[in-house]
Amino acid sequence: MSNLEVPKELKTEAKAHDMYLHPIDKDTYELFFGPQHMATENFSIILKMDGNRIERAIVNPGFLHRGFEKLAEQRPYFTNIALLLRICVPESDVPENIYSMAVDEIVGWEVPERAQWIRTVVLEMARMSAWMFWIMGFGNEIGLYTAGQWAAAYRERFMRLFEELTGGRVYHIYTVPGGVRRDIPGDRWLRQLRDTVEYIKGKMKDFDEILFDNYITFERTEGVGVMDKRFALKHAVTGPNLRAVGVPYDVRKDDPYLLYPELEFEVPVLKEGDSLARVLVRRYEMEQDLYILEQLLDMGPPSGPYMVKDARLKALPRFKPPRGDAYAHVESTKGDFGAYVVSDGTHKPYRVHVRGPSQSHGVTVLEELLKGARLADVPVILKTLDNCPPDIDR
Amino acid sequence: MDMNEKPKVEEKVEEQKPQEVPEVEAPKLPDTKEGKLVAELLEKAPYAEGNVRRERRVEFKVPADRIKEFLELASEKFEMLIQISVVDWLKEGEFELVYQLWSVSESVHAFVRTRIPRENAKMPTVMDIWPVAETYEREAHEFFGIVFEGNPRLGPFILEPREHEKHPLRKDFNMIGYVKTIYGEDFDRYDESKTNYVI
Repeated sequence: MSNLEVPKELKTEAKAHDMYLHPIDKDTYELFFGPQHMATENFSIILKMDGNRIERAIVNPGFLHRGFEKLAEQRPYFTNIALLLRICVPESDVPENIYSMAVDEIVGWEVPERAQWIRTVVLEMARMSAWMFWIMGFGNEIGLYTAGQWAAAYRERFMRLFEELTGGRVYHIYTVPGGVRRDIPGDRWLRQLRDTVEYIKGKMKDFDEILFDNYITFERTEGVGVMDKRFALKHAVTGPNLRAVGVPYDVRKDDPYLLYPELEFEVPVLKEGDSLARVLVRRYEMEQDLYILEQLLDMGPPSGPYMVKDARLKALPRFKPPRGDAYAHVESTKGDFGAYVVSDGTHKPYRVHVRGPSQSHGVTVLEELLKGARLADVPVILKTLDNCPPDIDR
Repeated sequence: MDMNEKPKVEEKVEEQKPQEVPEVEAPKLPDTKEGKLVAELLEKAPYAEGNVRRERRVEFKVPADRIKEFLELASEKFEMLIQISVVDWLKEGEFELVYQLWSVSESVHAFVRTRIPRENAKMPTVMDIWPVAETYEREAHEFFGIVFEGNPRLGPFILEPREHEKHPLRKDFNMIGYVKTIYGEDFDRYDESKTNYVI
């Protein structure tokens, strides 16, 4: 239509600034959602809108790309920990652990029991603090800000415990190949952790009332962004998103690592596959994580060293594992988080490839789920999928 | 390629070769669920080599021209394509593609390895078996320059347009040289004569 065409001078001006103006017809228009939008966390989606409905969504990642995989090839093995943990900020212990587990497997180290116990506790604490972070994001997206503010405050308790354990609040650089970097501070720390677990267990009822059992949550999430079992498996969706469509796949059960075979916990599964199911699966998992932490505290830290005894560890920058490769993965709050490490016998890894769970559910799946949704559903779908942009960009 | 780094890379790859041969030529399969799974697949696909690595980890080696056929067979047992990793073996002039599969029903992780020449690297897409492959292939194309025939979305994905078609994860990508052309004088504090820079 002629009256809708972009004026010529506007076109040349746009081209001079390296921009393109797409021709649009009367009803559809293009909307850039993110990277500044708070819901997207430095992620960008280009939406083709028809009124209030999304006709087509194109994911546009890359705003967080920092080239970690290339950088990891230029650094010694132990230095890489401080780099790779920055992949997933709310759950920074997960990249540490998968990388360390893969290197352990290449070297052939059996991690001491005490280190395994500490690693399991750290992973579960990371999961709990990541759940709190997720409640903050999700609560804010649907307008229940109080829940988000509570969650941020409770996350602070875990941050404080982490600070005492590792010296860092967000980035811990704690789990290293062969064990952990230092021992737990003492019984007082364990008591504090138990207090925190008890405290948050008591607060779950409040979260139910304000967020999970809330009329607003049901209204906003029920029937939004539905996927079925076959679709989810073909698209390699993992974690709570997969369990919300009825597949009981949990890395902690199916490919056990650390102390998980000795622990008792359930894998919550729902069948609906919509946003509400994804929210509720996460809520049940929070309870299971608290239960796991309680069991670990009852078990108590086993005595022994917290690091393997190996002469090679004395000259860390020149530490050389044998040739080989390994893939290790753990269950994070986002899903199946894995790392593939290839060693060629030198003191630097030949290749590190990190599998972020959002890589599978944050690109094609998101594009599919957004088709036909309302504009107001975009943050809800993003948050219930728990899309973590640095998983995709790395 | 930085002249200071090149001999190092060649050294590394040369050592790799003798180790791989005995690993593959030992197709003794244990009597476990992993062993049965490998035997079952190898019966249908005699052109592949397979072995059990450890509990819940199996490994296959497939020639590049039959990879699609093999993955089609494997997809009956392995429901998920976890990732496609590419390793650039510079000295041998080959890319190693590792298709990592996970079987939800059997709880087994499989590496499916294949090697293709670095020059004009081409592979058939596996999008029709696992639609998620689209994302992984876009990434592999962008960082390594492998063309996946049949994937309609190969193009700028994560990198900026100025970095497109530069393939930064290849081993012969001159990282310091590229950074110098982009950032120019700001980069002068780096000393070229040092070989093992940790950036």
